Amino acid sequence: MSSPAGPSRIGGLGPRHRKPPTVEPRVPTEDYDEEHERLTTNFNHPRNRSAIEQYMEAPHAKQITVVVLTVLAFIVRFAKLNHPDQVVFDEVHFGKFAAYYLRREYYFDVHPPFAKLLLALAGWFVGFEGDFDFLNIGDSYSANNVPYWGMRALPAILGSLTVPVVYYIMQECGYSTIIAAFSAIIILFDNAHVTQSRLILLDAILIFFMSLTIYSYVKFRKYRYHEFTFDWWAWMLATGVFMACTWSSKVNGILTVVAVGIAVMVDLWDLLDWRKSDNERITKHFLARVVGFIVVPLIFYLFFFWIHFAILTHSGTGDGFMSPAFQETLIGNELLMNSHEIRYFDTITIKHVNTKNLLHSHPQRYPRDYPDKRVSSQGQQVTGYPHEDENNNWIVVPTKALPETGRGRIVRHNDIIQLLHVQTDSFLMTHDVASPGYTTHQEFTTLPKDQMHRYNETLFHLHLIDGYEGQVLTTKANHFKLQHAVTTVYMMLPGHELPDWAFNQQEVNGHRQPEPEGSEIWVGDAIVAGEHLDELDERLGNQKDRKPKSMNFFSKFIQLQDLMFAHNAGLTASHPYASSPSSWPFAKKGISFWTQNEGHKQIYMVGNLVGWWTAAGAVFLIFGIFPASIFAERRNIPVLTESVTHRLWNSCGFFVVVWVVHYAPFFLFSRQLFLHHYLPAHLASALIAGAVLNFICTETINYPISYRGLDTPPKPREYADLGVKGPVFVGVFTLLQFSLFIFMAPLTYGTPGLDGDEVNRHRLRKSWTLHFASKEMADL
Amino acid sequence: MAANFRARRPPSPPPQQIYTPPPTQPRFPHPKHEHLDADERRTQASKSYFAGRRTSPGGLNVASAEWKLLVLVVIVASIVRLFRISQPNGVVFDEVHFGKFASKYIKTQFFVDVHPPLAKLLITLAGFLFGYDGNFDFKEISKIYENVPYVAMRMVPAILGVATVPLAYLTMRGLECRATTALLAAVFVTFENGLVTQSRHILLDSPLLFFTSLTTFLWVCFCNEDKRHPFSEGWWTWLMLTGLSLGAVVSCKWVGLFTIATIGFSTINQLWSLLGDLRVSPRLWIRHFMARALCLIVVPILFYLFIFEIHFLILANSGEGDGFMSAEFQHTLGGHSMQDTYADIAIGSAVNIRHINTQGGYLHSHAHNYPGGSGQQQVTLYPHRDSNNDWRITIAKDSGHPETEWADEPLQYVTAGMKVRLRHIITDKNLHSHDFRPPVSDVDFQNEVSTYGMTGFVGDGNDDWFVEIEHGDKSDKESSKRLRTLRTAFRLKHALTGCYLFSHKVKLPDWGFEQQEVTCNKNAMKANSLWMVETATHPNLPLHAQKVNYRLPSFLAKFWELQKVMWITNAGLTDRHVYDSRPHQWPRLRRGINFWVKDHKQIYLLGNPFVWWSSTLAAIAYMSVRGLLVLRAKRGYRDFDNTKVVKYDSLCGFLFMGWFLHYTPFFLMARQLFLHHYFPALYFAILLFCSFFDLMTAALRPKVRLQIGAVLMIIAIWNFWYLSPLAYGNQWTSHKCRRAQWLRTWDFSW
Repeated sequence: MSSPAGPSRIGGLGPRHRKPPTVEPRVPTEDYDEEHERLTTNFNHPRNRSAIEQYMEAPHAKQITVVVLTVLAFIVRFAKLNHPDQVVFDEVHFGKFAAYYLRREYYFDVHPPFAKLLLALAGWFVGFEGDFDFLNIGDSYSANNVPYWGMRALPAILGSLTVPVVYYIMQECGYSTIIAAFSAIIILFDNAHVTQSRLILLDAILIFFMSLTIYSYVKFRKYRYHEFTFDWWAWMLATGVFMACTWSSKVNGILTVVAVGIAVMVDLWDLLDWRKSDNERITKHFLARVVGFIVVPLIFYLFFFWIHFAILTHSGTGDGFMSPAFQETLIGNELLMNSHEIRYFDTITIKHVNTKNLLHSHPQRYPRDYPDKRVSSQGQQVTGYPHEDENNNWIVVPTKALPETGRGRIVRHNDIIQLLHVQTDSFLMTHDVASPGYTTHQEFTTLPKDQMHRYNETLFHLHLIDGYEGQVLTTKANHFKLQHAVTTVYMMLPGHELPDWAFNQQEVNGHRQPEPEGSEIWVGDAIVAGEHLDELDERLGNQKDRKPKSMNFFSKFIQLQDLMFAHNAGLTASHPYASSPSSWPFAKKGISFWTQNEGHKQIYMVGNLVGWWTAAGAVFLIFGIFPASIFAERRNIPVLTESVTHRLWNSCGFFVVVWVVHYAPFFLFSRQLFLHHYLPAHLASALIAGAVLNFICTETINYPISYRGLDTPPKPREYADLGVKGPVFVGVFTLLQFSLFIFMAPLTYGTPGLDGDEVNRHRLRKSWTLHFASKEMADL
Repeated sequence: MAANFRARRPPSPPPQQIYTPPPTQPRFPHPKHEHLDADERRTQASKSYFAGRRTSPGGLNVASAEWKLLVLVVIVASIVRLFRISQPNGVVFDEVHFGKFASKYIKTQFFVDVHPPLAKLLITLAGFLFGYDGNFDFKEISKIYENVPYVAMRMVPAILGVATVPLAYLTMRGLECRATTALLAAVFVTFENGLVTQSRHILLDSPLLFFTSLTTFLWVCFCNEDKRHPFSEGWWTWLMLTGLSLGAVVSCKWVGLFTIATIGFSTINQLWSLLGDLRVSPRLWIRHFMARALCLIVVPILFYLFIFEIHFLILANSGEGDGFMSAEFQHTLGGHSMQDTYADIAIGSAVNIRHINTQGGYLHSHAHNYPGGSGQQQVTLYPHRDSNNDWRITIAKDSGHPETEWADEPLQYVTAGMKVRLRHIITDKNLHSHDFRPPVSDVDFQNEVSTYGMTGFVGDGNDDWFVEIEHGDKSDKESSKRLRTLRTAFRLKHALTGCYLFSHKVKLPDWGFEQQEVTCNKNAMKANSLWMVETATHPNLPLHAQKVNYRLPSFLAKFWELQKVMWITNAGLTDRHVYDSRPHQWPRLRRGINFWVKDHKQIYLLGNPFVWWSSTLAAIAYMSVRGLLVLRAKRGYRDFDNTKVVKYDSLCGFLFMGWFLHYTPFFLMARQLFLHHYFPALYFAILLFCSFFDLMTAALRPKVRLQIGAVLMIIAIWNFWYLSPLAYGNQWTSHKCRRAQWLRTWDFSW
C-alpha cells in the first residue's frame, strides 16, 4: 500500500499508521505541508506524469480508445443477431405490441409507449406489417416471414452506443482514459447487457437513455460557472429530454428522474447559501430548473402518449381495460357497436361490473332464521347470478309523467326509477333489515305490486358515473350506481356467496359506504324487449356505421396512467425465474430466456461474474470510504486533499446516488422482480467501480474540470497519474472479463448447444438453473 | 377603588424604615451570550446546569409542593381509569385473545402469538394470584365472565395506565419545562378517551405505552446526568434502567422496536456530538460508546431472552400452537414424546416420512381419489400419527416380488442415488407421479402425485424415485451417505420426469379433508422438497440395533425458531377487519374501533378530539417551523444563536423524533392496523404540544401561563366528559349519541 506518494490514505486511517490523536485539536503539521507541496509541484505540471499516462491522455489516443470500444460493442452485440429465429422470452409481449402499433389496434401495457414506439418504427422500417402475433416463446420467425432481425437491431444499436456514452461520462468527470475505458469495458463485455440488447426488449433502450441523461447532467454541471448561457441551457434541456425518454421507455425509468431530481435538489441547496446568491439569482435558478427538469420532460412524456393514442385508433385487445367512454373512441369497438339508449318500460338486464353477475330475483324467500339467531324479513330473494335467465329481466318504470313519444321517454342521469321484476311482477326494494351475510348491510328484496303503502321504499336514484345533468343511460357504455331514496344505501354486491337456500348465488345488499371499492357499480347489459313488440328492432338497427366518439386527451391520459399504476402493483404472481433484489449484485440467479431441445441450445440471461463482482466490490468499498471520510473530517484529521474530497463527494457521490436510487426502491416493491431490473443500477456500479479504482490507484486527479467562468477565481491545476498499476490492473481485468465472456457466450447467444457435462461446467454458481444439465447429478 | 386604597395608606413611609430602591437589574436579565460558543450556549440554555446549584438525580428539580400536586394527579388519574372497571362483565374486543392466552399460561399449554410474552405474563400473574383456573374459553365478544377474576386482570393495564400519567409529568420536568406545562401534559394524558378505554381492558397496549413512557423518562434523566457527571454512579444507574426498560417495551409488543429506534437515534446524536468534540479523547469516546452499547443493546437483548425463557418454562405442555413449530420443537413439549426408533433404514423398512419445511406433517395417502386429473388415489400431508402414514421402501424393479423378497435377503441399506419405490402399506399402492396437473397448483411445472397399483401389481416406471441425500447430521457420519432415521434430510426425484416430491402451504378443498397438497415440482424450491424419516422399523433388524430419537433443541434454537414463526404469522395478518384503519387516518382521528356492544350500550375506542387534533397540529407546526428555520439559516439569518431557539429546538426535536419513529414505519406495514397502534406516537405528540405551550408562554407571567393552561385543560376535560359514555360503556340517550357524532366517519351505531 505504500505508494511513492506517501502513506496511503486508506491505510492512513488504520491504527498502524496513525497514533491516536491527542486531546488538543489537531493542526496541520509540517509533514503535512511538505506532503502537500510535493503533490502540488509534482502534479501541477502534466509533463511530470508517467509515460503511459501522458500517452493515453493525448487526444488521438482517446479517440482511438473510443472507436475501438464502440466497434467492439457493435461486433459483440450484432454477432449472430438472427439467432435464434424464434420468439424469445418477453419478445412475446414487446414484439406483439410493436405489431399492434403497425396494425393500429389498441392494447394495454404497464409500460409507457416510447420504447415500444421505437421498436414499431424499426419494424416498419424493415417492412414488418404487424401480421404476426408473437403468441408463444419458441414460435418461428422465419416460417412466418417476420423481419425480426430489423427489430432486434434497434436495441442492439442503442445497447452498443451505451458503451461509448459510459466512456464519455467518466472522461467528462475528469477520470483518466484508462479509468474511463475500465468502466466502459464492464458494460462492453457483460453477458447480461449483451443478452438484453440483442432481443426485442425495452431494457437496452431504457439503459441507453439513462446513460445519456447522466452524461448530459454531468455536462450541465460543468457549465455551472456559465449560468444562463446557451451551453448551460442546452445541456439542461438535453438532460430533461433524455430523462423524459428514459421514463417513457419503461416504468422504472422514473428512478432516473428521481436520481437526477436528488442531484438537482442538492445543487439548489448549495446555491441557496446566502454567501453565494441573492434572492434574485436563486429565484432565476429555481425557475430555470422547474422548466428544464419538470415542464419540458412532462411535455415530452405527454407527447409520447399523444402519439400513442394517435396511432392506436382501432379496437384491439386493450379495450376491456378502459372505461366505456374511452372504448367508444375506438373504431370497431364492441361497445360502440352495441350500446343503445334505454327508454322507460324497456325490459333490461343489469350486470355487476366487477363480478359480471346479473341482478336476479326468484320466487324463493329468505329463510326466517339465520344461524347467528338473526331473523330476516322473509321477503323474496334478490341475488346476483352469472348466467342468462328469464329471472334476470327487469322493467325500468318511471316516477314522472312521460310524453307519448320521442326523446322524453329516455332514462337519464339523476332520474328516480323503479325496477319491476318481470317474472314475479314485483318491485325491487330495500329496507332496514340486516342482510343474510352482513349485520351492517341492508337486505334487498321485492315488493308485490299491490302494496302501494310502501311505494317510497321502491324508489331508487340513478347516478351515472361521471354523469352530467341530462346524460342518457345506455347499455354497456354507462356505469351507474343505484341509491335507495329513503335509506340512501347503494345497491352493491360485496362478493359473498349465499348458502344452499339461495342456490349458492351471490348476495346483493345495500350500504352507505360500499366496500370493496367499486362493488356498487352496475351497468345495463342488454335490452331484452321494448315497450311495444316491433319498436325494438327499429331502434337497435342502424348501428354499424357509428362514428367513434372523441375524448379529451388529458382524460384519456389520466385514465391510462391510473390503470398502468394499478396493474403494475398487481403483478405479484410468482414466476420460476423471479428473484429477490438482494441476490442481484452478485448475479446469484439468472433468467432462462429460451431453450431448444434440438441441439440443447438455450439462452440464459446472467451477468459476467468478473465484472459484476468487481462492481459490487467497488460499491462495498465506497460505502467504507464515505464514512471514513466523514469520520476523519469530524475528528479534524486531514487525510485527503481538498480536490480529492471534492471529486469523491461530487462525482462519485452522484454515481452512488444513481446506484442507490436505481436499486433500493426494489426492496419496497412487492411485484414480480427479475435480474434485468438491476441492469440500470449495474451501469451505475460500473461508474462507481471506475471512480473507486482511481481512488485506490492514486491520490491525484485531473482538477478542476468544470469550465471556468469569467469571475471564478483560478484554482491550481492538477493532473492525474495512474502510474503503471492502473493500466496493469485494467489490462488484467479486461483479459479476465473477456475470457469469461467468451466462455459464457453459448448461453448468451444461444449457440452452439452444450451437452450435459458442458452445461454443468457452465453452471458457475450452484443457484443458476440451467437446462439440459447432465442427468448424472442424481447419482452423485 | 384606587382612591380608597390611597386614602387608607399612611401618608408617607414611617421614618424608622429605610427605603431600599428596587434592584437596578431587570428581574429577568437577558443573558449576555454573544461571546459564547455553541456548546456553552447550549449549557447556558439548560437551567439545571448552573454551577453551585444543588444537583438532584437525573436533573429533576421538582419542588416539594409539586410532589403533592403529583399525588393529586395520580388520584384523579386512578379515578378516571378505574371508574366502574368491572363494567361490562363480558369479554371486550381483543380480550378474546389475551384472556385466552392467560388461560393457556395457567394450563401450561403451548400457544403461538405474534406478540412477545411480557405483558401477557403480567396479566396472567394477576389472574393467577386471584385464583383464575384457566377454564374459561373467551370464545367471543360479550360472552359473560364466569369464575374469572377479570377485574384483577384488567387492573394490570389500568394501573400501568395510571402510572403513565406521573411519568408524563416527570418527563416534561426532566426536559426542563415548567410545572404548568408538566401539569398540562399530565391532564392531557389522563383525559385522553382512547388511552382510558384501552387501559381498562385486558389488552397489551397499555403496558406497552407504560414502558414506552418509562423508557423516555429514564432516558431524559440519563441525558441530564450525562451533561453533568458522565460515568458517575447515577449516570450508570439511569443508563442501566433505560436498558432494562427498553427490554420491557420490546417484550410487550414488537412495536417497542420503534422506541428502541428513538433511543438509538438519540444515542447516535450524542455520540456524534462527542466525536466532534476534540477535547474528548478517542479512549474516552470509546468508553462512552461501549457503555451505551452494553446498556442499550446487550441488556435489552438479555432481558428479552429472559422473558422468553420464562415463557418456555411455563408453557411446558403441548397445546394449540404445536402445529406452527418444527418437529424437534414439538418434542420438547409434554405430551409429544415419541418412542425411540431404529436408526437404520433398509429396503423393506416401514417408515413414516415427514416434510421438513412446513408443519404439514407426514406423507399420507387414503382410500379416496382425486376428483380431477388422473382420478387416482390422493396423496397429502397429514399432521397426526395414523396408520395411513406408513410406507414401505421397496427396490425399483419391474419383475419378481419386490414387496416380499427382501425378507429373505441380507439387509440392503438405502443409500444416496438409489432408485426406490414407496408402497403405501394399507391400500397396497405405489407412490406415483405422471404428467397431470395437480388439482390446486395447476401450473406447468407441477405434476400430480398419487398412489397407484393394486395387490400383486409390481408397479411401473412412474413409481420410481431417486433418493438424493441433501445433508446428514454432523454427529452421525453415516447419515450423509445413507438414509438414517431423523438424521438425514433427503429429496425424492422422480426418475422419469426429473421433478421433486414437493409440498407447500396450500390446502386441498373439502374432498381432500383440507389436508396439505403434495405435488411433484420440476422447479422445486429446495427447502420445500426436503423430507426426513421419522420412524422406521424392519423385521430383519436385530433387537439390539441402534435406536434414535429427536435431539432436543437448545433454548436459543427454540427462541430463534419461535421468533421466525412470530414474524411470519405477523406478516401474514393481512385480512381485513371491519374496524381496521390505515395510518394516514390516525392523526385526523377519522375512525375508532367498536370494542363491545350490548343492550344499547357500547364501548367504542375513540380519542379525545381536542387532545388528538392539537397534538397533530403540534407535529405539523414543528415540521414547518423547523423547515423555516433551516431555510432562514441557509439565507444568513442567525436564529440558532438564540439560546431559547437552541433549547426548544433540541427539546422539541427529541419529542418530534419520538412521534415520527413511532408513526411513519406503519406506512410500510401491509398487515392489519388499528387506531390503537398510534398510541405511542400520540404520547409523544401530546408532549410535543405541551413543549410548544411552554415555548409560547415562556415570556408570560406565571399566573397568566397558569390561566391559559387551565383553559386548555378545561376544554380537554369537557371533551373527555362529552364522549366518556363510549369509553365506559355507560347509559346514553340516543339524542346525545347522535349529537356526539362530530365526524360522519365515526361509526358508533345509533
